[in-house]
Amino acid sequence: MRVMAMIMAGGPSPALSVLTAERAEPSIPFGGKYRIIDFSLSNLVNSGIFNVAVLTQYKPRSLNDHIGNGKPWDLDRAIGGVRLLQPYVSGEGESGAWQRGTADAVRFNLDYVAEQSVDTVLLLAGDHIYKMDYRPLLRFHESTGSDCTIAVRSVSPHETYRFGMVGADSSGRVTRFEEKPRRTLSRMASMGIYVFKGQALVDWLTGPGAGDVDFGRHVVPGMLKASQSIYAYSYEGYWMDAGTVQAYWEANMALLAETPALDMYDPDWVIHTRSEQLAPAFTGPEAIVEGSLLCDGCRVFGRVARSIIGPGAVVEEGAEINDSIIMNSAVIGAGARVERSIIDKRAVVGEGSVVGWGDDNTPNRAMPNHLNTGLTLLGKRAQVPAGVKVGRNVIVRPRVSASAYPPGDVASGETL
Amino acid sequence: MKVVAMVMAGGAGTRLTVLSEKRAKPSVPFAGKYRIIDFTLSNCVNSNIYNIAVLTQYRPHSLNEHIGIGKPWDLDRAAGGVRLLQPYQVGGGTQVWYRGTADAVLQNFDYVREMRADRVLVLGGDHIYKMDYAKMLRFHEDNRADMTVAVMEVPIEETDRFGIMSVDDEMRISAFHEKPKERDKGNLASMGIYIFNTDVLEQRLLASSEEHPELDFGKHVIPEMIRDYRTFAYRFDGYWVDVGTVDSYWQTSMELLDPDSPLNLYDKSWPVWTRSQERPPVKLGPQARVHNSLLSNGCVIRGQVERSVLSPGVYVSPGAVVRESVVMNDAWIGPGAVLNRVVVDKEVVVGSGALLGFGGDFDVANKLGPDKLWAGITIVGKGAHIPPNVRIGRNVLINAAVEEEAFAAFDGFVPSGETV
Repeated sequence: MRVMAMIMAGGPSPALSVLTAERAEPSIPFGGKYRIIDFSLSNLVNSGIFNVAVLTQYKPRSLNDHIGNGKPWDLDRAIGGVRLLQPYVSGEGESGAWQRGTADAVRFNLDYVAEQSVDTVLLLAGDHIYKMDYRPLLRFHESTGSDCTIAVRSVSPHETYRFGMVGADSSGRVTRFEEKPRRTLSRMASMGIYVFKGQALVDWLTGPGAGDVDFGRHVVPGMLKASQSIYAYSYEGYWMDAGTVQAYWEANMALLAETPALDMYDPDWVIHTRSEQLAPAFTGPEAIVEGSLLCDGCRVFGRVARSIIGPGAVVEEGAEINDSIIMNSAVIGAGARVERSIIDKRAVVGEGSVVGWGDDNTPNRAMPNHLNTGLTLLGKRAQVPAGVKVGRNVIVRPRVSASAYPPGDVASGETL
Repeated sequence: MKVVAMVMAGGAGTRLTVLSEKRAKPSVPFAGKYRIIDFTLSNCVNSNIYNIAVLTQYRPHSLNEHIGIGKPWDLDRAAGGVRLLQPYQVGGGTQVWYRGTADAVLQNFDYVREMRADRVLVLGGDHIYKMDYAKMLRFHEDNRADMTVAVMEVPIEETDRFGIMSVDDEMRISAFHEKPKERDKGNLASMGIYIFNTDVLEQRLLASSEEHPELDFGKHVIPEMIRDYRTFAYRFDGYWVDVGTVDSYWQTSMELLDPDSPLNLYDKSWPVWTRSQERPPVKLGPQARVHNSLLSNGCVIRGQVERSVLSPGVYVSPGAVVRESVVMNDAWIGPGAVLNRVVVDKEVVVGSGALLGFGGDFDVANKLGPDKLWAGITIVGKGAHIPPNVRIGRNVLINAAVEEEAFAAFDGFVPSGETV
């Protein structure tokens, strides 16, 4: 079996607000020094798969920088390795070359798949956080001889509306597939991980499924209807779709547990990433740190509890941080306080100001469905002026400078 | 002008005891994630010198692995880059070790010629400092010198520990005194950093090697050069330390914990590069108390750490206390163990409840090496296993890979000054 993987990294994720304002979801920092896509890439190389294509479309620059030539994953190879595939124009004056969905994106690159002399294609989402050995899945796929295998996991009935729900017979053969149903008898949710027989994929996307846009909504139901064989492979390990701000924050905070479900310290399953070259973490003479992750190059002179301090971030004297995520090279000024907030890269919190202030939990007015749990977001390079109090569920857009603030404090639920 | 740097990394560094027993001194870990040689290599690339030879002889494996093809320093280059030069056999199976620093350069002069270099920068691989060699090279050119020696001011009462240069108003060297007893020679000490014009260096090395087969820069080459050529001293006033002893190694490590440490590792304009292991962030458990320390990635801390330097992957169990200590990669500190002024090498296991650096008799020097271990620091060699609940005093030396049985003779208490 010769396998190549395609990672879908092109979709926008509006539910993540300012975190995806300047980058695609797979390239959001996670657990301090990692990016979300590191988990898929590391799973691949740890499973012995070294032929990987990453399909980009939405704001790919950060992802391009991160993946580069694939060196940190040993994917800078003479044969195979990692390729970043962008949307392209195939004829002069042609319009509509943008990809409308996952299936559309793969169809655009079928010629690339054909060039790889592979017989099996593994399709992955770039925005899931999990550790999974793909080899048992591939073996299962081979043993059933099916055209397609879907990795599934059980979910609670309340969550079925977020997933493609899969019904299967006792041999694992899929009999039913419903995309994001409110009610269903199935308990198995698709993880967005598909294994295709290469030829079956090419045949479908250029034949009966030539108009299909999305794997979950069109390809799988279509193939089922055409009686092609699809099997479900059940996986019960840790898996997380950090698709909302709350889920993202929770997944990060879960790393602080004494024995987290996601063990990043396992020497047999290393999560690789492109690390910045930085000195060790430094805690100053007055610093107090507990229940936290500290990344290389960060310097803590104040108090930090239950938080993640990213590479190169600085927490100045007298500053206090609780239950927050501070990303790369952000600066928390002297005497400032940060509560339940996500501070994006290079943001600056001025001296003595408070982010995530008070107990007024008014949902964010611009996106009440997505930001209502009291988390305040500071976008990349955003600033908070000295001495200002910023409430909860507040969004400060990237690059908002201190001079752009209205006079006084910022009430909960505002967007700047 | 084309420059090659020759880094001397072959010495044994015996005064560091077990730290340099299984590795050359330049490859001893320092400041958590670095090795001593990283500072010299980073100085080179930050000074735009990309042709570097590292001359190895004593236990080079650790150094070979660390430097590899030079990727972390951008030294994996098509032209130039880093070369590791080992001693080799000449025709007829005769084995020739490097007999001295200058002899090592002479034996590898082919490399200098191959690189078509017209200046040779000779460096030690075992000093901690940040220095822009480009400035020194400009000084060398401006003076149309044949040789330039980097010097720094040392306290006049310590001049008997250094090679002292006497200079005139233009910094031209008039005399060289190796560890002078008299105090009237000035206080400019040689840092072991030299720039030579290639042709002059080759002539001198060839001319002197007959007479002195154990040709050494400090002993033979420099004094002769001063007599016969234009030689200048380049004054350096930055931070420079030789971590040649256990005491200075420990002291220098502790100095890093000063927020205003003269060795700023966070300076973006002069990064120190190293081969980093791929490790997750430092994890501090809810019971952890960390105070004024340097923590490298992959550490898991559930106990107390105060004024200490921890290398990647150190595990501090709940209830353990690490105080004023240096702990290297992947050491495991068991529950309730206490470390006080201890240097712990890689992969050491400290059993639960063990007390290292116990008692107040700091001045009982090590019996087997009173000249090496006398400042109160206890040192544990790579991979040693310390049994649970044992008490270990000051200036104790625990050899590498010692098993728990070796402690049986001490019946739970290793007094200060002992060796296991």
